[in-house]
Amino acid sequence: MEKADVIEKINHTFIENFEIEPEKLTKETKLFEDLELDSLDAVDMIVHMEQNLGIKVDIQKFSTVRTLDDVYQMAFELYSEKNLQ
Amino acid sequence: MTKIFISGLGNISSLGNTPDVLFDNLEKNKRFFKYYPEWKKFKGLKALVGAPSFPYDVSKVLHRKMRRSMSPMSEMSYLATLQALDQAGICLGDNKPNLHPFKADPHKTLLVLGNTAGSPLFLDTFFRQMIEKEGPEGQLSTSFLKVMNHTIPTNISLALGFSGPLLSPSSACSTSSQAIILASELMKSGLYDMAVVGGADELHPHVVSIFDIVKATSSNYNETPEDIPGPFDEKRDGIVVSEGAGIVILETEKHLTKRKGTPLAEFCSGIYRCSGNHMTQPKASDMADTMTKALELANITPSDIDYINAHGTGTHKGDQEESDAIFQTFKGQTTPVSSLKGHFGHSLAACGAIEVISIIQMMKKKKIIGTRNLKTPPKNSGEIHYLKDQEVKSINYALSNNFAFGGMNTSMVIKGV
Repeated sequence: MEKADVIEKINHTFIENFEIEPEKLTKETKLFEDLELDSLDAVDMIVHMEQNLGIKVDIQKFSTVRTLDDVYQMAFELYSEKNLQ
Repeated sequence: MTKIFISGLGNISSLGNTPDVLFDNLEKNKRFFKYYPEWKKFKGLKALVGAPSFPYDVSKVLHRKMRRSMSPMSEMSYLATLQALDQAGICLGDNKPNLHPFKADPHKTLLVLGNTAGSPLFLDTFFRQMIEKEGPEGQLSTSFLKVMNHTIPTNISLALGFSGPLLSPSSACSTSSQAIILASELMKSGLYDMAVVGGADELHPHVVSIFDIVKATSSNYNETPEDIPGPFDEKRDGIVVSEGAGIVILETEKHLTKRKGTPLAEFCSGIYRCSGNHMTQPKASDMADTMTKALELANITPSDIDYINAHGTGTHKGDQEESDAIFQTFKGQTTPVSSLKGHFGHSLAACGAIEVISIIQMMKKKKIIGTRNLKTPPKNSGEIHYLKDQEVKSINYALSNNFAFGGMNTSMVIKGV
């Protein structure tokens, strides 16, 4: 999977599971301020990322993300690491 | 003595999603029981009939963050609560669309909503996944919030922005009647001025199974649910499980008068008792004692009652015992008796409140609804006036019964205004 595919899967989760309007999904979008996600959403986002991408996400590490680009970057890195092993 | 009035009603049910639609379908003698052939996959389940609620949609009125912890029972309760608050003209919190000039004082307002157990739909999902994955991996953060016992009132408080006292009684089929009685007692004690009370339950094959296991479900007419005999009928073969939410607004007379609200009925008295006798076998003398105490609390006699709304679920034992109890309590009277569960099925935790709503609609329309599909009442029930059809009659006082597993008995007296 290319990074664009990972981004598409993550965006799909935001649209389908978090009812975020597609036009709000830009790299600069802030998860908690702009999308008003909270700690419960963060837990659920991790579950969806793990199920959709076959990766393991550390919640401590996820708590450092601020923007959508941070999420894309983290997800792609974890996906690449897993598929290199 | 503090008088308690009912000033708002709301319901989601198998017979309609407002009190007016519900009563319209009662008047038209409708039932919308549904055959579920897909339930055949549940090994050993004999009952394949249920009564789902009319369709509803909360997505247009509630933000995702409010909905994410709601199962259908909370969604139905939310919509029914909005109806009841709108009718009363009361705003419970600060959240749209429940906006009215009169805002309830959260320190003097009680929220009492219950259910039989957490959402059966999500209990299934939650534990199925826990067992299959041998642990919590993959569970969403909101799963438990739909499964916990106080899921309904907590979700309603969040959705409305209500920050006052909250209780979640749970006594299966007597849940919402117990909620109403409990709230009225606390209000009479002077602790609260008003209360939002009721209950809800979801239709799910696991719930049907609970009654199926103890041979209490209707299963002889699966493919022809229109023919299922009504409660009290000689050929009755058990419960048809339905779903829904019933909500009523209670206010003290002082509170109602001060805010110039409109009473729909007076809640005169109510009582809940356990029989201490048997978990599933009801006993006529206990039921009769409960009815008698409710009448005594209302300071009236059996001859004052114009209509008895029976619990009447359609089981052999339950209906027989209730018949005997009514006979013992109302000996010599010709008070009309009916059960509405032949119309809307048995909505468990919701039924007490939905039946109160139906009684108030009957009072308003001056028409008593008889028991649907009641052809031959039990022979050994004494001289009870089982109403099979409709009767044009004014109701001043009505008695409503609800009984539940665990020997729970409740009776309430409602007075027209």
